[in-house]
Amino acid sequence: MTVLPGAGRRRSAIGFRRNALLIARREYLDRVPTRTFLAATVVLAVVAVGLALAPIALRHLERETVVRIGIVAPDDNVAKASLSLLDGYLNAPPQGVDPATWQKPFALVEEPDQATAMSGLSQRRLTSVLVIERGTDGGLSFTFHTPESAASAVAQRVGFGSVGVGILDWQAQLPSNSGVGQFHPPAYAVVSSDPAAPSGPSFDPQLIANRSILATVLIVLIFVTLTVYGMWVATSVAAEKSTRVMELLISAATPRELLVGKVVGVGGAGLTQYAGIIIPAALVVLFQDRIAGLLLSPAPTGGEAPLDGLTLPILAAFLLFFILGFLLYALLYAAAGSLVSRQEDVQQLALPLSLVSMASYIAAAIGLSSIGSPLVVVLSFVPFSSPFVMLARVMLGRVEPWEIALSVAILVGTSGLILVLASRIYATGVLLYGQRPGVLAFLRAARTAIG
Amino acid sequence: MALVVDHLVKRFGPVVALDGMDFRVEPGAIFGFLGANGAGKTTTIRIVLDLLRPDAGSTTWHGRPTAELPRRTWGYLPEERGLYPRMAVMDQLVFFAGLHGVERDDARRTVHEWLERLQLPEAARRRTDELSKGNQQKIQFIAAIVHDPEVLIMDEPFAGLDPVNSAILRAAFLEMRSRGKTLIFSTHQMDTVEALCESIVIVDRGRVVVGGAVRDVKRTSGRQVVRIALDGDGRADGPERLAWLDALPGVRVTRPGADYVELTVARGLDPQTILRAAIERGDPVTHFEIADPSLEEIFIERIGIRPGDSDELGPATAATAAPLAS
Repeated sequence: MTVLPGAGRRRSAIGFRRNALLIARREYLDRVPTRTFLAATVVLAVVAVGLALAPIALRHLERETVVRIGIVAPDDNVAKASLSLLDGYLNAPPQGVDPATWQKPFALVEEPDQATAMSGLSQRRLTSVLVIERGTDGGLSFTFHTPESAASAVAQRVGFGSVGVGILDWQAQLPSNSGVGQFHPPAYAVVSSDPAAPSGPSFDPQLIANRSILATVLIVLIFVTLTVYGMWVATSVAAEKSTRVMELLISAATPRELLVGKVVGVGGAGLTQYAGIIIPAALVVLFQDRIAGLLLSPAPTGGEAPLDGLTLPILAAFLLFFILGFLLYALLYAAAGSLVSRQEDVQQLALPLSLVSMASYIAAAIGLSSIGSPLVVVLSFVPFSSPFVMLARVMLGRVEPWEIALSVAILVGTSGLILVLASRIYATGVLLYGQRPGVLAFLRAARTAIG
Repeated sequence: MALVVDHLVKRFGPVVALDGMDFRVEPGAIFGFLGANGAGKTTTIRIVLDLLRPDAGSTTWHGRPTAELPRRTWGYLPEERGLYPRMAVMDQLVFFAGLHGVERDDARRTVHEWLERLQLPEAARRRTDELSKGNQQKIQFIAAIVHDPEVLIMDEPFAGLDPVNSAILRAAFLEMRSRGKTLIFSTHQMDTVEALCESIVIVDRGRVVVGGAVRDVKRTSGRQVVRIALDGDGRADGPERLAWLDALPGVRVTRPGADYVELTVARGLDPQTILRAAIERGDPVTHFEIADPSLEEIFIERIGIRPGDSDELGPATAATAAPLAS
């Protein structure tokens, strides 16, 4: 009989890798081709595509809703000019649409003063308010008060319209006052009441908006991965215990090989399902405008494209923190699974781990709106929260390379320690049947276990 | 050079699982590792397999600590049976062989050979959970030997097998021995031990009570057993007719069977006394045999309980469960 290298007690790297891959392969093939797996993947993919199509539906709804913008002007001429120009610009029917049947999406209302307008905004009589003021140099300045972010399509289009109003106003002053200066584009500011609007230092508003959405999506993805596929690992270990096949396994492979193989195999199965769910949804997001064009006629313009913020470094950061985070949590889930004799008990024992990942996810979600706060910075180095929080910082804040390197190093180091600890827990736990041990008794047993 | 278990001590909290366990198994032997539930068998096996570390003592094979030996040295059939239920038998066995470093083609060839030998050739493509319990047990046996180990350690390999499958497994044992393998197994079936084993140990409370060649162990009691059959045995008045045997000094009827009567003869008493007494009474003797006590009797005598009796462990506790003291 031919024996492959690395089969000795002191496993060589080849032997370790071979056994871990064998176990990973078995885990993968045990899950992926099953009907349950395929059915769950298809159902989740349909849900994800549905969610990805939601913005198109929202845009469709928005199109049917009239946006009321109150205009506060310094004089009648500016008021008339702005009403006329913005109406023509914002309410221009798309190409190929009959102007007679076209329903204007914007209603422009002149307001007597700013206080009245702002009151109308707070009472929802108005959707937004554009305040136009004349400066000491005779030029106009525009302030757009909106509940949306500065990067929203409406804010941007009003900004473009403001330039036109400024030009009209400049031209209107030329004949009677030949001393008027050269035209300068008017100042345009957006005051957003959107609490999620990021305050990143140097990104342009559109990019911040896109990245904010993207960061939320990626953090949710990491959270879902850690909890769902972490539970897969735990239940898989518990299943091997409950079917007693563990007794055979543990005499053929080391606990570390079993642990790593299981995490890699289940992780691979999880990634496969992930890809099956995410790729169709990502394609929908990527081609959102084209799909909207096909589904909604005429196509609304100015929609956001969340994947615009996805750069190669961000994708690399996501994959890095995704893999390291999964490794860390999955090892702990495996150790937790080894402590129960029945699969039904896994949920109970894995609850603390789920709470830790949930707390980290919430911290990252909150951190998106205060990305530079000291707490967020600290959490981006704490191993259990860093996969979430550092990713958020990378996407929305200014992070020095050494900070990322340090966070990754701490995460890798902790995963190494967890591997040793989890191997011991696993080696002890998998031979443990019956009632759950007390902590001290378990530690005593783990001390002499073969990790 | 042998498997030497040298004064193993293992405690789980206040529970002493092994208290100086000490024996040796010669290479190429079939060795019976006997004891009641909770005597320390599984703990000893787990230490030999390096799944546990002892508090004191050592285990060596051919002079090398077992913890330093490749895992493929050992084939292990655990007491608690388990396989991947949804996996095909061939895939499963090739997987286990692969963990021991056996190439895929070699593993497939070996599996086919053993499936033929154990009269399960059609099982290769079937899912494990489609097989009967006895056949699953045979698959587990193949999983334990598919990598051609030097030493095969089995915990209750015959439990739950019908007589036909027991006979098949016994034949497999003998074949493994003919290939020079060392076999160690625990069982509560003493007749199987007597049929297969050259030597045994009986353990209790974590230490060896008695051990050695089966014949020597059986003679340790100093007693002898007489089996006598008289013409007319099996008649309705049989039990009354045996009263005179019980009345003989130093003689006790231990098995008043219809076919023959088994008597235990006290140390120092000549068994021929019984034959002479029967002849003097005029009862025609059709069978007379002087033998050593059975292993079951030795076991009961040494341990004080019948093997497999209701001394089952309760659910494992923190102190005893990691690992189970068998």
